[in-house]
Amino acid sequence: MNIFLQELKANRKALFFWCFGMILMVSSGMAKYGGYKASGQSVNQLISTLPKAVRAILGFGELDLSKASGYFGVLFIYLIILATIHAALLGADIISKEERDKTSEFLFVKPISRLKIITSKLLAALFNVVVLNIITLLSSVAIVDYYNKGPSVNTEIYILMLAMFLLQLIFLAIGIVMAAISKNPRVATTKATSILLATFILSVIIDLSSKIEKLKYLTPFKYFEAKDLIKNLELDPVFVFLSLIIIIFLTCSTYLFYQRRDLSI
Amino acid sequence: MNIYRHELKSFAKSTIIWTCSLTVMIVLYLLLFPAFTKDIAVTRKLFSALPKAARAALDLDLDTFFSLLGFYSYLLNFVVLAGAIQAMNIGAGIISKEYRFKTADFLLSKPVTRTKVMTQKLLAALTLILATDVVFISSALAWAKIMIEEPFSAKIFLMLSAILVFVQLIFLVLGALFATVFSRIKSVVSVTLPTVFALFIVDMIGSILDAKNYRYFTPFKYFDSQYIMKHAAYEWRFIILEVVVIACCIAASYIIYLKKDIASVT
Amino acid sequence: MNLVETKDLTKYYGKERGIIDVNLNIKEGEIFGFIGPNGAGKSTTIRTLLTLIYPTSGSATIFGKDIIKYAPEIKEEIGYLPSEVFYYEKMRVIELLRYSASFYKRDKKETEKRIKELAELLNLELNKKVEDLSYGNKKKVGIIQGLLHRPKLIILDEPTGGLDPLMQKTFFNLVRQENKNGATVLFSSHILGEVQKLCDRVAIIKEGKIIKVEKVSTIIEHNYKRIKIETSDKIDSKYFAIDGISDYKAENKTISFLFKGNINVLTKKIVGLNLTNLWVEEPDLEEIFLHYYEKD
Repeated sequence: MNIFLQELKANRKALFFWCFGMILMVSSGMAKYGGYKASGQSVNQLISTLPKAVRAILGFGELDLSKASGYFGVLFIYLIILATIHAALLGADIISKEERDKTSEFLFVKPISRLKIITSKLLAALFNVVVLNIITLLSSVAIVDYYNKGPSVNTEIYILMLAMFLLQLIFLAIGIVMAAISKNPRVATTKATSILLATFILSVIIDLSSKIEKLKYLTPFKYFEAKDLIKNLELDPVFVFLSLIIIIFLTCSTYLFYQRRDLSI
Repeated sequence: MNIYRHELKSFAKSTIIWTCSLTVMIVLYLLLFPAFTKDIAVTRKLFSALPKAARAALDLDLDTFFSLLGFYSYLLNFVVLAGAIQAMNIGAGIISKEYRFKTADFLLSKPVTRTKVMTQKLLAALTLILATDVVFISSALAWAKIMIEEPFSAKIFLMLSAILVFVQLIFLVLGALFATVFSRIKSVVSVTLPTVFALFIVDMIGSILDAKNYRYFTPFKYFDSQYIMKHAAYEWRFIILEVVVIACCIAASYIIYLKKDIASVT
Repeated sequence: MNLVETKDLTKYYGKERGIIDVNLNIKEGEIFGFIGPNGAGKSTTIRTLLTLIYPTSGSATIFGKDIIKYAPEIKEEIGYLPSEVFYYEKMRVIELLRYSASFYKRDKKETEKRIKELAELLNLELNKKVEDLSYGNKKKVGIIQGLLHRPKLIILDEPTGGLDPLMQKTFFNLVRQENKNGATVLFSSHILGEVQKLCDRVAIIKEGKIIKVEKVSTIIEHNYKRIKIETSDKIDSKYFAIDGISDYKAENKTISFLFKGNINVLTKKIVGLNLTNLWVEEPDLEEIFLHYYEKD
């Protein structure tokens, strides 16, 4: 429990800034919605006739921007970028920081097993991720509701945030596993964020050509897309399953590798 | 110039990795161009059938939009995003490493002024970034010439590519300034990545929502590719803004670095 | 000539005290000791002299030049070994030493020779990576990088931690040798024994202030000892009423105190007792501060 609390304390300032950033983004993004709604209607119809690649380049995707849910769906991709960056950095940092700050000799000679240390740290990271998700959820519901004049879109927001939560967990797991397997603790964040950047850019490429659509299994950013979530109001079970497998596999690997790790001093 | 050489060496590996990744990225991107042109053949027809007013609403110049340059300028957005991260990493990393690795005492007890330390470090960072850019831009141009049958203006291609250089320069000095002010940063990426992505998102959302003045707030939008393609020129006020931002960051970095106390390691 | 001279040197970290009105004069050619407990301000003084930090008020000169104005010139002739050494982990030892040497205007061949000599003397492998070195070996790298340019002023900040006794001896000999060749040494430590062995004069610092500058020979004359006696009978508390006794503590048949003065007076007193055990120890520095210098 003491490690868990210590980690919460160590991360509270950062968490505050991240939450603040999320709220700022939702509110500034939605602020334009009112103005857009009026002029958007005719353009919107036109846009829906364009091929996918062109829409991708224009930045519209397949969302109906005249509806509050579609508009929020555009924001969604940016919300998940921020949320996954937070998760990846947090995961890599929380595991590797003892070695980086040379406090491993302090912590690991205490009468507590490594298993417990990692578990406490993971729970603390999970707590941070959940808080960020809930804050985003609550602020989105409130802000979208403020601008929305049509039927309620809360269900859409819940589904989107659930998807975001799964993505957060995936990248949290990528962060911790990188910290557990890297010999040099300093490179853990670099590795985790390289994966994030690479998968993000891959997701951008996939939009451009239908030929490479199969590659979407390789990038979590393609697992849950706002347009499908809003249309179907449920997560694709195939990708939920895939996400869970990834999360569980990486978490188990973390435990396995960290148990036998030679701590660098 | 010993610090300069030392820093070049210590950042060589990561710079090579970045350069290769960026180059591979553009090579793969350009491979998609033929597929893209096929997709849009239909669109072209559809578009030309539209009334002029509707086209204006979309703010599109058909010829540039569906050309190689239009395609390239879109892809360049993501290269520039990655490049900005690289540049800010180097800028923040090269300054903060002496604190992170506790070597500040070693370096500054040597007979060298802090001005010289800063100058050589900034020059080294600049060299690394320019090396990346030269390799990237020349291979992108060569690859486009080989791959793409359609003729395009090499001049505009290079002018577009230069956006990468401009944006990287800004993020380089932003990183250096940040590391000078907050000298106790423990992890460079946890600072640079959120910063760069936040500004990138301001850029993306701003352009989708067609906001008015957001361009001044994000270096990603100082150089508008549509404008460059249309006029074969940059916008003067943003060139000036760029120079002012860079000059201010550098000046502030020097002033702060010269005056600050070096934190003790023990 | 004073090689180092500080005038009312004061450093505050925000509101926290670093050093207050430090006045030091280190003469050319001497080995000057600087002792005081942890946190007294030794490192602050040294880091100020090296312009790693800037004084809040007061000034200092080294080689007769203002430390801030002529910082790089001065450092050309300074060798510095901190208490904890950190170097670029990815470099090999030899690369690091060459990098260090590249800052000084010295003959390259001469420097190479010097590196080899010193490495051999200290028994240090030059081809290992810095990150693979033990703490003691990193310290050796520190010694070499501090001495390879034959500085006129050697600044050592608690340098002996991590060195085994044999290596400490080698190191002290090295410092003495450099001193004989003309180098002035500023040696900071919290271990009195070290300072006694090496230094000519010593400044004592406490809570940021210099409380005494004294010749080491004088301190040795004072001959501080901690005495502990165990007897078969209880001793009358007035039995040891002689000059130079302080911190007197009695517990059943055991007494202990600090003694400064003529040892013969003390032994005569002890002869009259029926001892079961006797300890004569070097007191640690803080005890001396506490019971002698504080009263001055």
